[in-house]
Amino acid sequence: MSRRSIIRTAVTAAIAVVCLGGSPLARAEQVTIKIWMHEHPPRLPIDRKIIAAFEKANPDIKVEYEAIAVADYPTKLLTAFASGGGPDVFNAFSGLVAQYYNARILAPIDYAAMGYADQKALTSLYSGGFDGIRFAGKLYGVPTEVSNYACYTNNKLWKEAGLDPNKDFPKTWEALPAIAERLTKRDSNGVPIRRGFDFDWPSRPVSWLVISSMMHQLGANIIDESHYKAMLDTPAGQRSMQYWVDWANKWKLGGPQYTDSRTDFLGGKLATDCSFGVWGIPQMVDAKIDYTVKPAPRWADATHDNGFDAYAYYMMVNARSPAPVQKAAWKFVRMFTDDAAELFTGAGLFVPRKEVTDLPQFKTDPSVRVFLNELRTAEFTPRVVGYDQVLDAFLRGRDQMVQGGQPVAQVLPQVNQDINSILRREKAKAQAMAKAN
Amino acid sequence: MDRKWWGLAFVLPVVGFLAVFNVFPVLFGFYLSLTDYDLLNPPEWVGLDNFLNLLDDRLFLTAFGNTLVFVLGATVPVWIGSLLAALLFDQGFRGKEILKTAFFLPVLPPVVVVAVVWRMLLHPNGIMTWLAGSFRGVTEIDWLSSTVLAPAAMIVVHDWAVIPFFMMIWLAGLAGIPPELREAAHIDGASPVRTFWHIELPQLRATAVLVAAISTINAFQTFTLQYVMSADGGAGGPANSTLVLGLLVLKYGFQYFRMGDAAAVSVVMFAMILAVTALQLWFNRRAD
Repeated sequence: MSRRSIIRTAVTAAIAVVCLGGSPLARAEQVTIKIWMHEHPPRLPIDRKIIAAFEKANPDIKVEYEAIAVADYPTKLLTAFASGGGPDVFNAFSGLVAQYYNARILAPIDYAAMGYADQKALTSLYSGGFDGIRFAGKLYGVPTEVSNYACYTNNKLWKEAGLDPNKDFPKTWEALPAIAERLTKRDSNGVPIRRGFDFDWPSRPVSWLVISSMMHQLGANIIDESHYKAMLDTPAGQRSMQYWVDWANKWKLGGPQYTDSRTDFLGGKLATDCSFGVWGIPQMVDAKIDYTVKPAPRWADATHDNGFDAYAYYMMVNARSPAPVQKAAWKFVRMFTDDAAELFTGAGLFVPRKEVTDLPQFKTDPSVRVFLNELRTAEFTPRVVGYDQVLDAFLRGRDQMVQGGQPVAQVLPQVNQDINSILRREKAKAQAMAKAN
Repeated sequence: MDRKWWGLAFVLPVVGFLAVFNVFPVLFGFYLSLTDYDLLNPPEWVGLDNFLNLLDDRLFLTAFGNTLVFVLGATVPVWIGSLLAALLFDQGFRGKEILKTAFFLPVLPPVVVVAVVWRMLLHPNGIMTWLAGSFRGVTEIDWLSSTVLAPAAMIVVHDWAVIPFFMMIWLAGLAGIPPELREAAHIDGASPVRTFWHIELPQLRATAVLVAAISTINAFQTFTLQYVMSADGGAGGPANSTLVLGLLVLKYGFQYFRMGDAAAVSVVMFAMILAVTALQLWFNRRAD
């Protein structure tokens, strides 16, 4: 190699280092935040748009963004946290946040970094939605979606049965079986070939949420969250579970043998479904279903006038990230959550912020108003540590009663005991962690 | 360099690969079984607690019982069914090869494909209901959402898929029997049943041990059928009737994030398979 070519190579390499890497001084000021979100296709372009705007407004902050398939998301998050890594900003379902809180992964909101004076300045922008992320009075995240279910009717199928949802939709659980029977079409053996209404049996979270809502209406909780105690084996729990058992075995209006109710409703095999949120409206439009949205039935002797429980997704920050990264992360959370109106119009993700509820749809669309009215009285789904284990234990019991034919009075104490043993274990872990810290 | 060092240098990459990807995970699994580890916090040493807890863990006991039932259903009928099929195809008859190929077809697709197809066939209002229920006017059978039918359906599907495979092993064993032995028995006037019982079966002992060992190990490790076919998307339902140990390891490890318990169940599975295999080998040696 000639001397000239050596010099040329050295100069080229030096230029490349400067251009690609930047100066060491500049690099020291740069902060990179890693963001993980669950995949929700309509939201992805909005995510990217917000990130581009954020990077433009904050040239010293670089964003590494990853959207992960819903099914893999909780496992990927936990395994990443386990290896000491994980994202700096992440979103998660309210049912799962307690485990992150117990493991000291959630950083309390840094109001200054977000540009708010205090907690009140943030919460005053919302008419609710923070109950799922408040621990010991402190907030650990900002809602990116607050959701509740209501009942969608397929007006064509209701009309075929000589019914009008606006006049005939049952107001009580007690009145529901008779209406569902009128809407049900059966074959010569009495097997429903089209159901009038059915619960979403295969979905664990929906089953849990609906039973919890039915118990809330009777003034009871499925779980005493603060005392880590299961409350299923109570008169309210027994009555709610018996209703499900009777639905499948006595009234034979549906059951766990059917595919998920959402698919069947969109396919015209189910006349009424109560497992869609406000985000279901575009799906109704796509499936060309003429629909009406009605509030959830209540017990005739309900002590609480609530519909289905609310749940939420929260954007949170990793407490193990370095302080400057946490500050940058909260700054991003502010920018993301300020785009609430676009998240609703573009991705159907509702948060009860004024700029969302002021949108024309909320004034003109009666369906949307039903969700909003129901949300006002909805209780939050209990946050359960060991969520998956608890839901499994609950469903195991449900199946023993419904499919195994075992009496409710015999199975519920066992389910309660199973859930209590899971909660005791998790409580002991939480206490050990608190002691260690 | 010394000749032996050259030898070591050549095997080192493979030994290293096995050590990293085989030996280390196994040893780490043993270590995890002695800890309480939830992924979020560092593993905490608990000694034999995880194993002791399994003794009154209802989920484990249910999975253990279900696995034993599955092993029973996935071994004895498979041994008998595959041997009978091998004896049939060991005879000479017209169209034998075509029939044998057709019989072998269920072995070819991966288990997951078999499970998906059978899940569709066993839909409450599907083809199998039509076939089985049409005589009695039944239009709905809860094949996969009944606590009795679901585990039975999985055994039947498993046996349907593996019998042809073991038939081939038996056929190889039968082909290894010297024809003179059969001819001598035939000349001495032995009936086919007597020839099978006194001549062929003793000659098939090594094959029998192989079939028994492989089928038992496979049955203990069952996972895919229960994961794919169960009506609740692999949760082991209805009411845990299809929860087997393999599924419990997944559940404990990657749904409940109880890695220590998952590893303890794996160690128990390992011990069970080791014990059964050792028993079969001992039985074979003793018979020799």
